[in-house]
Amino acid sequence: MAAEYILEMKNITKRYGENKVLSDVSLKIRPGEIHALLGENGAGKSTLMNVLFGMPVIHATGGFEGEVLIDGQSTTIASPHDAMLKGIGMVHQEFMLLPGFTITENIKLNREITHPSLLSRVFGKNLETLDMAAMSQDARRALDSVGMSIDEYTLVKGLPVGYMQFVEIAREIDKTGVKLLVFDEPTAVLTESEAAQLLRVMKSIAQKGIAIIFITHRLDEVIEAADGVTILRDGKFVCETRTADTTVTQLAELMIGRKGESAFVTADPREFPEDTPVALKIRHLAVDMPGEQVKDVSLDIREGEIFGIGGLAGQGKVGIPNGIMGVYDSEGDVELFGEPVRLNDAHAALKSGMAMVSEDRRGVGLLLDESIEDNIVFNAMQVSGEFTKSLLGAKLKDSRKIREHANEMIRELDIRCFGAVQHTGTLSGGNQQKVCIARALTMNPKLIFVSEPTRGIDIGAKKLVLETLVKLNREKGMTVVMVSSELMELRSICDRIAIVAEGEVVDILPVNSSDADFGLAMSGIKPGSASGKEA
Amino acid sequence: MQRVNVSRKQLIACVLIVALALVLGVIGVYGLSCRGADSGVKLLQDMRLQAVLNTAGSGAIDAYVAAEKQAATKAAREAGGGMKEVREATAKAETEARARAEELGIGAVDLSEVDTTALGAALNAMVAAQEAYYDEEARAQEAYIALNKDAITAAEDAAEVAEDEGGDAAMEETIDLSGFVATEEMNRLSAEVDSAYLALCEEIKVIFPALTDDILQSLKATITGVMAAAGDTFESRYDRAEASSGMNAGAFGVILRQARTFALTALGLVILALVVFFYAPLVKKMGVPRLIIGMFFLLLCLLALILNLSLTSQLGNTLVRLGMNGVLVLSMLPGIQCGISLNLGMPIGIIGGLIGGLLCIELGMSGIGGFLFACVVGLMISAVTGYFYGQLLNRLKGDEMSVTTYVGFSIVSLMCIGWLVLPFKSPIMKWPLGNGLRTTIGLQSTYKHVLNNFLSFEIFGVTIPTGLLLFFALCCFLVWLFMRSKTGIAMSAAGANPRFAAATGIDVDRMRIIGTMLSTMLAAVGIIVYGQSYGFMQLYQAPRQMGFLAASAILLGGASTSRAKISNVIIGTFLFQGVLTLGMPVANALIPGSTISETLRILISNGIILYALTKSGGDTRG
Repeated sequence: MAAEYILEMKNITKRYGENKVLSDVSLKIRPGEIHALLGENGAGKSTLMNVLFGMPVIHATGGFEGEVLIDGQSTTIASPHDAMLKGIGMVHQEFMLLPGFTITENIKLNREITHPSLLSRVFGKNLETLDMAAMSQDARRALDSVGMSIDEYTLVKGLPVGYMQFVEIAREIDKTGVKLLVFDEPTAVLTESEAAQLLRVMKSIAQKGIAIIFITHRLDEVIEAADGVTILRDGKFVCETRTADTTVTQLAELMIGRKGESAFVTADPREFPEDTPVALKIRHLAVDMPGEQVKDVSLDIREGEIFGIGGLAGQGKVGIPNGIMGVYDSEGDVELFGEPVRLNDAHAALKSGMAMVSEDRRGVGLLLDESIEDNIVFNAMQVSGEFTKSLLGAKLKDSRKIREHANEMIRELDIRCFGAVQHTGTLSGGNQQKVCIARALTMNPKLIFVSEPTRGIDIGAKKLVLETLVKLNREKGMTVVMVSSELMELRSICDRIAIVAEGEVVDILPVNSSDADFGLAMSGIKPGSASGKEA
Repeated sequence: MQRVNVSRKQLIACVLIVALALVLGVIGVYGLSCRGADSGVKLLQDMRLQAVLNTAGSGAIDAYVAAEKQAATKAAREAGGGMKEVREATAKAETEARARAEELGIGAVDLSEVDTTALGAALNAMVAAQEAYYDEEARAQEAYIALNKDAITAAEDAAEVAEDEGGDAAMEETIDLSGFVATEEMNRLSAEVDSAYLALCEEIKVIFPALTDDILQSLKATITGVMAAAGDTFESRYDRAEASSGMNAGAFGVILRQARTFALTALGLVILALVVFFYAPLVKKMGVPRLIIGMFFLLLCLLALILNLSLTSQLGNTLVRLGMNGVLVLSMLPGIQCGISLNLGMPIGIIGGLIGGLLCIELGMSGIGGFLFACVVGLMISAVTGYFYGQLLNRLKGDEMSVTTYVGFSIVSLMCIGWLVLPFKSPIMKWPLGNGLRTTIGLQSTYKHVLNNFLSFEIFGVTIPTGLLLFFALCCFLVWLFMRSKTGIAMSAAGANPRFAAATGIDVDRMRIIGTMLSTMLAAVGIIVYGQSYGFMQLYQAPRQMGFLAASAILLGGASTSRAKISNVIIGTFLFQGVLTLGMPVANALIPGSTISETLRILISNGIILYALTKSGGDTRG
């Protein structure tokens, strides 16, 4: 007798050290149901799935509390392989396919149909010959069930990404005894028509009795395809509901929610009159940054404002400053105070009076083996030749001036260190971030990009970093463009916030817009045009 | 100064080592002080006297036996015996005479039986005369060598042997003393020794009346040889005296003999105890390999002292080698800083420098002008080759280590053909028969030692190669200046974090090319400096290993495969060359005729590189 739920995860709690990433989360999936799992970045979706698949990272960090039931039976899932044996499959976001193999081979990889040969009788099962005919029959069947007519002998290499997604699904369906499939953001890389087809395929799979956990941030897809929804926020279970009983707006609100903590820095948003000069004019910017593709962004950032750019991870918000500053290849037209900025030229971008505090502090932001002072003056020295003195026609560094300036910056930004000669690699994240800001400020920029300024630093440092930005803006009139995944942060100091989804600006919202509006924008729906009620 | 955390085990080990050091030190100092005191002097004198008596005694027996034999032969002849009978009689007489001599105690005189006052005085007088003579001889020879330095030194053979492995192990020069003539002072002192010996003989005759002057004269070499020899030390005198006296001096003798060893071992133990105590901060500051090699270097210094090798001259050699190899090691620095890691393709630059040197010979230039000309030509060639080499490395980012190694090997092999076909005409460098250049080309006629001898002076017996060291210091200073310049800083950033540099608008590829060119150009100058110091240019296979030696030296100095400083170059070269310079004589003294120092060189250089590679994989700050 089948249980009511094919999968039940009860009161799952998971800690990484002191940090509670999941607390008391429950998830219930009926057979044949498409169940959406919703949440912002860091809400705990991936950790929950890691628990479900018995990923080594979970075991290595002390396991979890709670219970997992499959078909009503309490089980322990020891490893991803174990999960597969128990009938749980995963359609990965990044394709786990071997490009040089045919579709059939990929689908049947490690589950090949074989028959014994002369060699295998002597040397064992590993040397049995493949039964290609049987394998391709299976592959054909699986491909048909996802609605793909492509020849099963085609090499995976060179297939369009949409096709790869379907091959991936076909592989999971082909597994015998599969009861539950997890789709991790399956539509993220698909075109609209492909996405629609995928949803159809998902429904047909579900009709065969296979349950589906559907992880996505596209709320309209949830409403269209899913039967039930579970929403997580900050590692906590928010609610479980039937899609029939809810709307996109409601889901968006639940997903964003009011966070418990109050804003620790508040700068009142200001209204800028329409005729305020434009500091940065971006038209049709496209940036080729891996993982943060920017497709077509146009923005006007006014002089003297703190402009926020928000959105979910991987949607392209981080690509905007990186593209403009010449870190990644970009295309489009950018004007700074009416002067065109040469793209793909980091030197020109810095020279024109812009500076950036990179989100990749340790990778792009700092020379970890160099001293604080050398890091702080690096840009100013390289770009505008400051802090140098001439000797025999060569420009040498002026240690005295550098030390003076570094000490001033250390005092001003309260960088906690043993002295200006300490290596930045030995500083804490927050102090490293301050060094990065000091480096940007040393250039005396007219406009400063700060990308994920508070990622990976503690609360105290966060507060100081945000306060510094406000101070720079208010006292020196510097235009600040802040890119952050933390909406809370953006709302606390920005004047306006642009929300980016799928490489495009969805909308520019005032800071005091409702959670629902931000939630909708993040899932790519322009508030006001969404179906359902408008908040 | 932060507090040093010391574990219990460390503390116990320290206390034990220090206790042992104290014991040994006390014994050693006691022994050393006894050498000059009455007890020590008496022991040595007694042994010497006994040695003299033994030698003279055996002479006396020989004289007695010879007389008996002669008598027996004569008797047998008179009895009308043939050859056979005579021989038998002689043999019989010899055996009997020896037995009788033993019985009568002709040759065996014990010290206690005779009054040795007069004999002792005569002996001491002779020893003093001998020592004066040997001192004078050493001084005179030194003066002779200094005067005729270039004419009598011959290192060519050594160089020919060494070049197969590309090594410089056989660098010592053989000195030809055949032209040396004794000075008047030496003759006078020699005469004094002779007369002192005659006085001694008179005393010996009192004890052994059987001895004739002839026999005593024939014993002269043996007796004087036991007493003193050229380049003598207390230990060697003691050993000879003890061996020929057959006396057992007991524990006191051992203490006297090994006093130096004890004292130096105690010193070594104290150092060891200090290292054990400060192990953690030392390792943190210097890293394991530098600590090991540093300790090894100290051990070698102590061993050299114990073995009575001339430490000062070895340290002088180390200084020469520091300057000689320094620029080559320095050439690693720009490569490491610009991100191509260890420039094992250094032979590219070396070959540029060699061509510069060859052109200098071909055009008949010499002296400092020739040296500078070679440098300029070397710089020009290596700038061009370095540029293309840099382009190649930019296309193969991430695999620099293997690429540079293979480029280095390939260019050496390519130039093996090149040396054969290059149209040089000078007979100095061509094989006498056939085509091509010699494997080893002497630089006597061009710029040998122009730097070494510039302003060189002697202090505490160490010749300081001022010009060489100054040139090395100048190169270091220029590189240091460059590293502080805007371009130098940009280059270092490009090496340390290419993405950071690119985000600041620095052309990373260009910086890598600049670094590669600099490295290659320094290598060209480096090999010219090396050649002028060595006295020879080595073509064909010789440059192949040099990259590895330079790489291990700079790594030993504390550089990593991605970060290096000037101090790393200087410390590394000094330690590396110091261990090699000291290692060879010490190893030869311990295991005569071994090639252990060559093995040591390969072991150290490759071991260090391997160690550094294991470190470079992870975080550089370990």
